[in-house]
Order: sequence, then C-alpha cells, then structure tokens
Amino acid sequence: VTEQSLLSDELLEQLIAVGQVDVLVGVPTLNNAQTIGGVVRAVHRAFNRYFPKVRTVLINSDGGSTDGTRALVRDYASDDSDTFVVTHSLRTMHRISSPYHGVPGKGTALRQILTAADLTQARAVAVLDPEVANVAPEWIAALLTPVLGQGCDFVSPVYPRHPLDGPLITQVVRPLVREAYGRQVREPLAAEFGCSGTFATHCLDQPVWETDLARFGIDLWVTAAALKADFRVCQAPFGPRVVVPSPDKPGFPDVFQQVVGALFDCLEVDAPYWLPRTQFEPVPVIGTIGDGAPAVPHVDGRRLAETFCADIQSLQSVLEPILSPGTLSRLQGIADRDCTALQYPDDLWVATVNEFLTAYHHGVMRRDHVTRALMPLYLGRTGSFLLRHAEAPAPAAESSLETLCGLFERSKARLVERWNHNDRGDEWLR
Amino acid sequence: MIANAVGQAGSNFVDALALFLPRILTTISIVLVGWLIAVVLKGLVRFVLRSVRINAAAERTGVAEVLKTVEMPAADLLIASIFFWLVWFGFIISGIDALGFAVLEGLADDFAAFVPRLLVGFAILIVGFLAATFLWRATLLAAINARIPSPRLLAGAVRALVLILASAMALDHVALARSIVLTAFAIAFGSVMLGLAIAFGIGGGDMARRVLENQFPERDRSGVDDVTHL
Repeated sequence: VTEQSLLSDELLEQLIAVGQVDVLVGVPTLNNAQTIGGVVRAVHRAFNRYFPKVRTVLINSDGGSTDGTRALVRDYASDDSDTFVVTHSLRTMHRISSPYHGVPGKGTALRQILTAADLTQARAVAVLDPEVANVAPEWIAALLTPVLGQGCDFVSPVYPRHPLDGPLITQVVRPLVREAYGRQVREPLAAEFGCSGTFATHCLDQPVWETDLARFGIDLWVTAAALKADFRVCQAPFGPRVVVPSPDKPGFPDVFQQVVGALFDCLEVDAPYWLPRTQFEPVPVIGTIGDGAPAVPHVDGRRLAETFCADIQSLQSVLEPILSPGTLSRLQGIADRDCTALQYPDDLWVATVNEFLTAYHHGVMRRDHVTRALMPLYLGRTGSFLLRHAEAPAPAAESSLETLCGLFERSKARLVERWNHNDRGDEWLR
Repeated sequence: MIANAVGQAGSNFVDALALFLPRILTTISIVLVGWLIAVVLKGLVRFVLRSVRINAAAERTGVAEVLKTVEMPAADLLIASIFFWLVWFGFIISGIDALGFAVLEGLADDFAAFVPRLLVGFAILIVGFLAATFLWRATLLAAINARIPSPRLLAGAVRALVLILASAMALDHVALARSIVLTAFAIAFGSVMLGLAIAFGIGGGDMARRVLENQFPERDRSGVDDVTHL
C-alpha cells in the first residue's frame, strides 16, 4: 500500500505493463533539458551494448521541470548512429518519465525510483546524474556489472579527478567519512551509484525520506547506508565528467551548508555504528582506471588565502565556543603571517574539522551557524592546499591527500572521546 | 511651670518612644528575617540555575562574553543576586511600611505592583539580548560567506539596533521615566536616520562616497567561484 501511494496511478499502470525487470536505470531530473538527451542516449546504448539479453527499464523521476526535460525523455528516438554502433537488444527497452509528488528534492525522486525498482523486482539498479553532459554507456555498465556479476550491493563511482579538483570532497567529505565509517570510499557524495535490489529495498525501509537529509544530502546518506549496514560495497571507475549545473542550483555558500550539514547529520544519525568501530578498510575498485591524466584546474589559491585572513578576525567570537583555545590561537597565528603564502597545516585542519563536528553534535550554537562558520576556514585550507601544490606533480598532491586521510583516521580515538565528553578546554592539538 | 513643661515633654517623648520602639523593632526584625530569607532564596536559585547549566547556556548564546566584558558576575550569580535584592528590598519596604509614617504609606503596595513590571522588563531585555546575539551571528556568517563588505560592521549594527529597541521596550514596560525614555529614543533614532539620509543624499555626497569606499572596500568573490568544489 505504501509503495503504491508513493507512485501515481499512471506510473503504477506503466510499471505493471513493464512487469518484472532485471535492470532499472533511474534518472532524477529538474530542468536538465540541456543534458538529458545525452543521458538517455547513453542509457539506451548501454542497454543495447552491455545488457541485450536482460529486461531493462529507464525511469525518469522529475521534480516539475519547466524546460521540457520530461518531453525530451519521453520523445527520445534512437538516432542512426545507435543502429550502427551498438548491438541490438533482444528485448523491449522500456522508458518511463513521471513527475514525483511530495517533499521537493532529490530524495523524493530517488525514493520513487527505488520504489519502482522494488515493485519491478529489479536485480540491479543504477542512478545517474542528469547534469553530466558526457555520460558514457561504459559508466552505466560499470555501475551495473559488479552488482549483476560480482555480488556487490552498492557501487560507488571513482571519478578521475586531479588532486586539486573538488576540494570540498577531498578536504572534508572523503577524509571524515574515512575517519568515521572506516571505509575508503573516494566519492561519498557521488550523484551516481549502482545497487542491488536488496539494497534498494533496505533503503526504502529507512526512516529518512521525510527528513531534510533526504532533501539535501541523499547522495551521502545512500553511501553511508551501504557502509553502516555492512553491504558489500565496491567502486567503479568513470571517465572524466563534464557537468552542466542546473539553472536552479544554489550558490556555493548554500551548497557548502547543505553538504557539510548533511555530512554532520549523517554522522549524528549513524553514531551508534561508527563510534565503536576501530578498523579501516579499503573498498575494492572493480574495473580499470583509465590512463588519461585529468586536466589540472587553473585556480588561484592566493585569493582564497587572503579571504581567509580577512575573515578570521571577524569570526573570532563565533569560533570561540566551537574551537579549543589552542586550535583557535594557531589559526590566528597562521592568519597573522603572510597570507599570500598561507600555510594551513594538515594537523590543524584535522583538529578544525573534528572540533566543528563535535561542536555540531553538542549543539554549542544553532547548528546551521556551526556549518556556516566552517566555510571561511575551508576556503583558507583550500587556498593553502592549492598554493602548496599548484606547481607540484599530481602524484605528489594525491599522496598529500592520502596523508591527510591517514591523519583523520588516526584522530578517530580523540574524536570519539570528544564526541562523548564535551570539553572545549581539552586541547585537540596536544 | 518650666519644670512642668519639660516633664510633660519628657513624658510625651517616653510615651512616643514606648509607642514607636516596638515598630522599630518590628522593622528591624522584618529586615533581618527578610535578609535571611533572601540569602536562602539566593542560594536556592543559584543551585537550580546551576543544575540546569545556565552558565553553559549563557556561553552558548554569548551572554557570558558580554557579562565578562562589563565585569559582571557569571549568569547564575547575577540572576541569584537580582532575586536576593528584589526579595530583600521587598522586606525592607514592608519594614518601613510597618513604621507607620503617613508619608510612606502604600510604599509596599507600590513596590508589589512594580516588581512584576520589573521582572517582565528583565525578560524583555533577556529575549532582546538573545535575539540580538542570534541575528548578529546570522548576519556576520551570511555576510562573510556572501563576500559582503565589512561584515563585522553590518552585524554589529544589527545587534546594536535590536539591543536599543529591546532596551527601549523594557524601560517603557517598567514605566521608569517613560516620557524621557521615549523622547530620548525617538530623538536618538530619528537623528541617526536623518544624519544617514543627509550623508547619503545631499549633505556630503562626495565625502560620504569616500567614507563608504574606505569603509566598504570591494571584496572579490572570484577566488571562491573559480574553484570546482565538488
């Protein structure tokens, strides 16, 4: 009954007409007319090329696009090139586009997709990012094959990133997920994933769907759900992605707030799982990572560093209840030096992030103020990292990221101690 | 005759003293018992406030920082002291009332009517302070993250405005020199606004521009937006 109420009558009828499937690919959309054509084409090619003998369905769950996204999905017709380059599927390829109802946000779209997967008893599910302009059929196969052939329950993509790219992932999300959950997932915030039908059903049973976490941090929550329930987690290599952000995308301060808020919320909810956990394990990568070196992002760390130095004085009284006196004093110390060559050391960054997390947990102030106060420090750390590695070869910068993750992992005992006993006077940096 | 008059006066004095001494003793007893009750209540209030961790809450909301700045005691001691003085002052007034001076009659009733207003005034101040701290922090963080110039000045202005408003409301509620408070507030607030309007408008356009340019230097946000954070 619950499943049926989540799906409109029209969608339900369409799913009943499709019947049982082996593979379901879901694409949650909201005004993605620019890129959705390429995504649908890639799905069709993937179905033809890699899954010609299995029953497949593509489901587009739309949040009320006004730019014709749904029409583009519905009216997509295979072009001639498909006929020449791909193997023909032996089965009908179903394609459904449906609006979702309920709380706006990706969480509801994903819930509809997973409900459809549960209803059609799909063995493998892949969820794609509609903002990627160059989705390749190989990536879809990379998400589904480990589920169908190797018993993986959750497949997370590995993007070929340059180490200076995506600092919010590499400096905050990845290391903190490694520290807490003890699993070395490279992209915990990936918008794409593959999973088994069992995992889809497990997710549907969780009490997350009506919360803000589902609205703003569902990608992270899905990864965390796989890690904490001890599902078999794998990673699959992707090619370089070209992302065309939806026009409705919020500005960076809001994105930062949503990402860090979702991360801290996940850690709060999953504390009973990760607090007693002491081991750290790698997550296997199934498939070969391409040789092509990712492009070096041309960004100037100096501006971020200068911004940090200007902001740290203004933030002093906001930071006092969050950080221990030693951490705050060291932060002021580095901001007082030459900001064009800012050095925000690894151990200080580890202390900063962990102290922010525990301040969030202990509610030292309104929680969104805690996460917003972290942004200027994050920009400082990013600026410092960019300055340090701007000229360095990619492997050296990558090795630095690995060192940082290692430092986070070694800090776990302190984090647990601090999590259980709030004592701001207790210095992190002993 | 003189001796009689002196004797009569002495007798009157003794009669008056005999009549008044018990009242004085009653007053002293009331004041002493009141002090004792006030001390016990102070201890009790402090104990309750400590058990609900009022000092931690004061630290969280920034109240502790302000109290420290103006060299006031910690929040638990401050509130307990306020209770002490209110209770003891109430007893002192009752004691004075017991003396039976016609000019001081009704003082206790007036005080009893004043205390609730005073407490509500305090409550308005506390709520105003909490709102000011919250808005100050929200403005500061939003301004810093949005790269708005002079975030501290902006946040400070918001806090000052809310505090002035709350103080004026509290004083108005207590009805202490109401007309002076309202007039002072209206004049101060109006003159600031008028001054700003003149500065921004015709009075000193160039100077205002220069001051504003110095005060609000351009902040470049391209550094933040250049990075692909995700």
